[in-house]
Amino acid sequence: MATKGSNSIHRSSSRPLLDLSKAEIQGNVEEKYPTILLPNQSDDLSHLALDIGGSLIKLVYFSRHEGQSTNDKRMKILKDKLGILNGNRRSYPILGGRLHFVKFETNKINECLEFIYSKKLHCGGWESHHSDSTNDQNAVIKATGGGAYKFADLFKERLGISLDKEDEMDCLVAGANFLLKAIRHEAYTHMEGQKEFIQIDPNDLFPYLLVNIGSGVSMIKVDGDGKFERVSGTNVGGGTYWGLGRLLTNCSSFDELLELSQKGDNRTTDMLVGDIYGTDYPKIGLSASTIASSFGKATLENKELEEYRPEDISLSLLRMISYNIGQISYLNALRFGLKRIFFGGFFIRGHAYTMDAISFAVHFWSKGTAQAMFLRHEGFLGALGAFMSYEKHGLDDLMVHQFVERFPMGAPYTGGKIHGPPLRNLNEKISWMEKFLQKGTEITAPVPMTPPGTTGLGGFEVPLSKGSTLRSDASALNVGVLHLIPTLEVFPLLVDPKMYEPNTVDLSDHSELEYWLTILSEHLPDLVDKAVASEGGTDDSKRRGDAFARAFSAHLARLMEEPAAYGKLGLANLLEMREECLREFQFVDAYRSIKQRENEASLAVLHDLLMELDSLDEETRLLTLIEGVLAANIFDWGSRACVDLYHKGTIIEIYRMSRNKMQRPWRVDDFDAFKERMLGSGDKKPLPHRRALLFVDNSGADIVLGMLPLARELLRRGTEVVLVGNSLPALNDVTAMELPDIVAEAAKHCDILRRAAESGGLLVDAMTNTLDGSKEKLPSVPLMVVENGCGSPCIDFRQVSSELAAAAKDADLIILEGMGRSLHTNLYAQFKCDALKLAMVKNQRLAEKLVQGNIYDCVCKYEPAY
Amino acid sequence: MDPRRAETGKNSDQIQSGHVYHLALDIGGSLAKLVYFTKNDEHIVGSEKKKSPMKASGISNSSRNSPVLNGRLNFKKFETSKINDCLEFINSMKLHLGGVYKIVMIAMVMNAGCQQPESPGSQTITIKATGGGAYKYADLFKEKFRISLDKEDEMDCLVAGANFLLETIHQEAFTYMGNQKQFVWIDKNDLYPYLLVNIGSGVGMIKVEGDGKFERVSGTSIGGGTFWGLGKLLTKCKSFDELLDLSYRGNNRAVDMLVGDIYGGMDYSKIGLSSTTIASSFGRAISENKERDDYKPEDIARSLLRMISNNIGQISYLTALRFGLKRIFFGGFFIRRHPFTMDTLSVAVNFWSKGEAKAMFLQHEGFLGAVGAFMSSDKHGLKELLANQKVERPPSKLSFSLDQTQVPQQDGELNGDESIECSVYGA
Repeated sequence: MATKGSNSIHRSSSRPLLDLSKAEIQGNVEEKYPTILLPNQSDDLSHLALDIGGSLIKLVYFSRHEGQSTNDKRMKILKDKLGILNGNRRSYPILGGRLHFVKFETNKINECLEFIYSKKLHCGGWESHHSDSTNDQNAVIKATGGGAYKFADLFKERLGISLDKEDEMDCLVAGANFLLKAIRHEAYTHMEGQKEFIQIDPNDLFPYLLVNIGSGVSMIKVDGDGKFERVSGTNVGGGTYWGLGRLLTNCSSFDELLELSQKGDNRTTDMLVGDIYGTDYPKIGLSASTIASSFGKATLENKELEEYRPEDISLSLLRMISYNIGQISYLNALRFGLKRIFFGGFFIRGHAYTMDAISFAVHFWSKGTAQAMFLRHEGFLGALGAFMSYEKHGLDDLMVHQFVERFPMGAPYTGGKIHGPPLRNLNEKISWMEKFLQKGTEITAPVPMTPPGTTGLGGFEVPLSKGSTLRSDASALNVGVLHLIPTLEVFPLLVDPKMYEPNTVDLSDHSELEYWLTILSEHLPDLVDKAVASEGGTDDSKRRGDAFARAFSAHLARLMEEPAAYGKLGLANLLEMREECLREFQFVDAYRSIKQRENEASLAVLHDLLMELDSLDEETRLLTLIEGVLAANIFDWGSRACVDLYHKGTIIEIYRMSRNKMQRPWRVDDFDAFKERMLGSGDKKPLPHRRALLFVDNSGADIVLGMLPLARELLRRGTEVVLVGNSLPALNDVTAMELPDIVAEAAKHCDILRRAAESGGLLVDAMTNTLDGSKEKLPSVPLMVVENGCGSPCIDFRQVSSELAAAAKDADLIILEGMGRSLHTNLYAQFKCDALKLAMVKNQRLAEKLVQGNIYDCVCKYEPAY
Repeated sequence: MDPRRAETGKNSDQIQSGHVYHLALDIGGSLAKLVYFTKNDEHIVGSEKKKSPMKASGISNSSRNSPVLNGRLNFKKFETSKINDCLEFINSMKLHLGGVYKIVMIAMVMNAGCQQPESPGSQTITIKATGGGAYKYADLFKEKFRISLDKEDEMDCLVAGANFLLETIHQEAFTYMGNQKQFVWIDKNDLYPYLLVNIGSGVGMIKVEGDGKFERVSGTSIGGGTFWGLGKLLTKCKSFDELLDLSYRGNNRAVDMLVGDIYGGMDYSKIGLSSTTIASSFGRAISENKERDDYKPEDIARSLLRMISNNIGQISYLTALRFGLKRIFFGGFFIRRHPFTMDTLSVAVNFWSKGEAKAMFLQHEGFLGAVGAFMSSDKHGLKELLANQKVERPPSKLSFSLDQTQVPQQDGELNGDESIECSVYGA
């Protein structure tokens, strides 16, 4: 008998945090620092750091998830079975949580103080922190930047906190090192208006050159953590641009000056090679448009300053300074044998043309052998570094796979912009979204899709990033909230984790991106309806539904406009973003009731199906089972075509119709190879698999009539089965939380499933009975359930839950089912064990593109262990 | 009497009345430079009576049939924006031209004002020229004065000029730091490879490995044109020299952000920066309550000069380092032997190289291209004559070596015209 108790895992609103510590602690009291392992007592690390610059205050803070009681019986048994118990490699746990990146203008420092106060960040602990919080006179916050001195008294006075000043360069380097190691696509190149993200192997990062362009420019050779040296610099930097710009134009702000440069034409101020030669100077490879002398044109004319357009002056200045920095940086990288140059600092600010100009210079002077790179979090290097300077945060031990970046909508910091006062709760966020309506409708209106700027001009004849209005901060990339999930691991069965790329569809192809954005956009109203209905259609849920629609549309619009806004994005990320956005507006499970209804309907006919299957011989049965999986995979709310189908028939009708259509050969048909592995040929009877991981897809017929019967067959053959479900809901995908109930219900109809489920701890109470009652019965191989660590219809095997990773250690067969996990992602993934990828293609475009077929074609791809 | 000075006066103020035999031009973005040979004659006071050792050496036995003429190699410059002055000057000269230079009394054209030359069949004169302007103004020269410019590659000329000067002139190269000018004797056999940094409107950096063996390896657009262009926009200066003058009197602390400004007057000793190091050129000009007129033009000029010199010094050093070049020679009109410019360049090279490298300058820094263009024609046989000469005499005694006079402090204020005594073949 299943009990409700078996799935009482309380989950936070995002990726779950498996708090392994609690159960362990109780069993490990003799450990050296037992108390540290208790979640509430390991909080004595500070969680806020500041970088107070001349124009912006950057704030990095850490927040923990609330309520992490995952100490359920299933977990406990699972841990016994899978041996997760000793999986904790550390003497103290790293806390899961989120790193937030927030900016304020320095001249609005009060907003910053208010924000800190409202978030209780000044209390030196977590919200549920220790009782000595009254003693916050002693709270010490790490800070860097010139303002750390200037505003020290203000912070003391207003918040009672002392600022502990950290060296700027130390922080800069620490921040850059952390980001480059922890974030997979932190670095990017920017050439001719095109961003391209670069994946950098953390083990092959050093040495590199970090060029920080502030008022002046510092060039730092970084050899490792804490190992760096300022090797060069130049006094021609951001201050020169702004200083000369101010003297030459009437601009009143740096941003205004930058914006002017967008409309400039430097030919009126710069002396070009063509001005001197009247033509190119081919002998040394200089084209007529190469700048021979910055501002040199001004020497030839008797014009007053007022006769020059400030736009032209600004552009000329910007180029002069950017080119110069690029050149000197390259020469220094060359001198010290540094293979990579990263540029950061306020001068860049994500300003596309500045990046282009620097990239051009590096490219030009290195004759294409070196590239300028930029960092997505470049504005936060110092603040992050200050944060890193706390001891015991354990952050530097974290690995790339333990970070997930999310892009919540909301003030004060979204999409690289400063929007206003802090939002304290969802209600404020929704209000803010409503106020955002004006802007929101602006950006949700169809955005004309223009191919990204590929002018074939080459060189820098005209500013390539011209045309679109300057988004000084926002052509800046979005900086999301960094979720730290220490329990995430790399799936151990990947053949080559470094080369693994989950996404099959490359969204950097513009037409692909456009297609998928349109699909998501079209699907949105239906999803909102479902979401609102799932919450009982209340006024509150309608309001949240509106806010969700607006927020998600804004994300889509942002992506249309700037595909690289969120870093390197695959289809998997895009689909996950939608789910995250739903959760952000507290739609916990939009398909809850639909999933329930379909599960019930399918379970009702399971018995008949199993009877039918049992009447078949082994070979026919295996084929029928695979057919069943493929047929049942038609039930997919993620597919527009299938949603239309639903309106026309009942589940069973559709299932039967679908199964009847299963004419082999399928579009991709490796069934015979799979059959041979399972059943052998002739007299050869192969050994059954030891353990199979079944990555399940949808609720209803898909799991009940498709995957469960297949699981049952494997169990019958003596193979342990681990059902791998989503950690969080995504569409109508079945979650790990729901699986035990479904299995329990199915077990009512089937002895094989029942005994395996008992053995696997899914039927906890029943297990006790069985053990008491029928000891003579042979113990079955277990049927287990683990969560995959994802909340998306796809799966990224670089970041899976530790329990899945543990379960994978003994597995020698994995079965990926459904479009999300076996087509959108992982179609080309290679595993160290046998792998079967099963899916029905429910999208015409995908069918054409991936299998050169049509909608409803089937894929049965079997690959023996690599 | 110092003949160089005497000549300087003449050259700048009045049309040369001596017979001009060989002429070459370097027309840059800002300045047009002339190098021409004049035969000593009765009009040139001072040098006429001075018995040339060249003459005494009796090289008339040379293989050439042309007579050996004793005279002077003259250097003169004009602002390119006043190219007409230059044209008039050329036209006003009595050019005795032989060989490739067709003999025409150009002066007659000039004297006749706007009229066509008397002889309708009068031939076009060909002059060796280099610099971008040789292309740009070719039509102008041709149409207005029937002068055809024989274009020589700019860099070829530059290098040929520098090589010639460094190899043959005894005191051509010098270092300049803290008001100390020091000539550097360079062994001709140990000259190459070197880095030649030519600071004109822009900056070209050339790796020179020998005669005719060189490569432009780097450069920067922040050069003399930037100094003068920005300076013109920011101050009311009317000329480059005026701007240079201003810079000499200014104090860059008013506009530059110094390391001390950032670190509260303290050095940032951790990274070895003293408090007076410029952290950001013009970084102080961002102050909201000050307008352009609130800054002294001399301070702005000073800051500009330091910014540009420092930057050129740095890139030059890094480039020399990259190619393993032991010497860096700075040339080009930007320097103009202006002490402060040379000083800032030297300081920059010294700073970035941590004292390991020294900036060197050339006495004839503005005329490298023009000398090179001059050298590109072999008719005058200057090099040959010198080579022969050398067998007989130690280089220090060569008559054309610069007079031993010290370059005055305010050399930058001179318009740079000067001359060197030497001998050439007549035609």
